[in-house]
Amino acid sequence: MDYFEPKTLREAVSLLARYGEKAKVIAGGTDVLVDMKFKEEPLCLVNIKRIPGMSYIREEKGSLRIGALTPIREIETSPLVRQKLPLLWESAHQFASLQIRNTATIGGNVCRASPSGETLAPLLVLEASAIARFSKGEKKLPFTELFLGPGKTLLGAKGLLREIEVPLPSKESRGTYLKHAVRGAMDIAMVGVAVLVTPDGGGKKARDVRIGLGAVAPTPIRAKRAEKALRGKTMARALVEEAARIAASESSPISDQRSSAEYRRWIVETLTRRGLEQSWKAVTGKEVDG
Amino acid sequence: MSLNIRLVVNGTRHRAKIEPALSLLDFLRDTLGYKGVKICCNTGECGACTILFDGKPVNSCVVLAADAAGAEVVTVEGLAEGDRLHPVQQAFIDTGAVQCGYCTPGFIISVKALLDRTRNPTAEEIEEAVSGNICRCTGYTKIVDAIQIAARQLQGPTGLTSKARS
Repeated sequence: MDYFEPKTLREAVSLLARYGEKAKVIAGGTDVLVDMKFKEEPLCLVNIKRIPGMSYIREEKGSLRIGALTPIREIETSPLVRQKLPLLWESAHQFASLQIRNTATIGGNVCRASPSGETLAPLLVLEASAIARFSKGEKKLPFTELFLGPGKTLLGAKGLLREIEVPLPSKESRGTYLKHAVRGAMDIAMVGVAVLVTPDGGGKKARDVRIGLGAVAPTPIRAKRAEKALRGKTMARALVEEAARIAASESSPISDQRSSAEYRRWIVETLTRRGLEQSWKAVTGKEVDG
Repeated sequence: MSLNIRLVVNGTRHRAKIEPALSLLDFLRDTLGYKGVKICCNTGECGACTILFDGKPVNSCVVLAADAAGAEVVTVEGLAEGDRLHPVQQAFIDTGAVQCGYCTPGFIISVKALLDRTRNPTAEEIEEAVSGNICRCTGYTKIVDAIQIAARQLQGPTGLTSKARS
C-alpha cells in the first residue's frame, strides 16, 4: 500500500488525480480503519490529517463555515454551533460515543455518504453546501445534489472536501433532530429525522417547512411532498398527521439487521409528526391543535 | 512501505518504524507492549481500547498509529504512581466495579478523562463519559458508584462539594 501525508490541499488533490479510484482518503479514520481491517486495504492511502488549517468553525456573512477536518466533538462543544445551529448541535451530540466524537470529522461523515450518517439529514435541511477542491479549482456543491448513493457523492474519486458552508436559518425558525435506535450511544440510526419550521408573523401558518430523512433511502433525502403539503398552511393536527404519512411514503427503506422496511416507514411517520409538533411548539409556544 | 514515528506514551519517549496501515491499538499492544490496552471489537464500538490521545479519550483501534506521531498517549499503565493506584483505579476496586476485568482499563481511562474535565460531574456527564464503554458482566451501577467515589476523592477534604459548586 502506498501511503501519503500531503501537507497542502494542492498536494492532496494532485495525489487523487494521479491515483484516482485506487486512492482512499482518510481523515479521522473511524470508518476507514474498520474497512481496512475487515474488507481490504486500498492500494493507496491519502492521510489528509496533516494539512494545516482545516479544523475550524467560524461565522462569516450569514453562514457558519466548518472545516472538513473539524472533529464532531468540536462541533458539539462549540457555543457558536449550539447557539446558531442547534439542529446540527443535536446530531453532533447524538453521534456515536465520546471517543468516536473526539476522532471522527464532519468531513468524513459527509464524504462517507452513509444514508444513516448522523449529521447529513440536519445539513440537508439547513441547505448546507460542500466546498470542494478539484485539480481545476473549487466548486460549491449544494447538499441537495451532493449525494448520489451509499458512499457516492459528486466529489467522485478526485475531489476533496475542504469546507462545509451552512447558511444560518431565519431567527424565527426552530429545528428538531430525532433519532431512533435501540441503544442510545454508539448505535447507528434505524431512522433519523431532521425538521426545520419557520412560522409566519401571525404564528398560525408555516411560512417554511423542511424535512430531512436519514437511513430510509439510498441517500439522505428531503421529504419534498410533505414539505409542500405544509408550506403556507395553518399547522393543524390533521394536516401535520397527513404530512407525516406523506413523508413515510417518500421514504424507500430497506430491511436489514437493524429493522424491517415496514417498521422504518412507521418510524418515519411517527418521528416526522413529533419533529413537526416539537419544532412548532418550540418556536410559537403553542401546541399543534385542532 | 514503512514510516518512522516518535511519540510519548505514559511519559516515556518512543521511536518506531511502522507500517502505515497499523492501528494505534496494535502498535501500543504488539510493538510497544502496553497490554493494558485491550483488544475486543476492533471496530470502535466497545471502548475496551480507550486511551488518552493528547488528553482526550479515543478508541485506539480506529486511530492510525501514524496519526500518533508527535502525540502524547496515556494508557491505564500510566495512571498509578509506583504502588499507589490512581483514585479511579482504587474506587473501581473498592466498589467491586470489576468482574472479569476486560473492559476495566477502557472504563478507567474514560473516567480519568471525565474527571480531568470536571471534578464534580453530573449524572448526565457520567453517563455520557462511559456510554462508549461496554461491560457485559456486572452492569453499570457499581461503575457509576466508583466514578462518584473517585470524584469525591479527587475533590479532596477541602475540595468542592456539589453544594459549593451549584
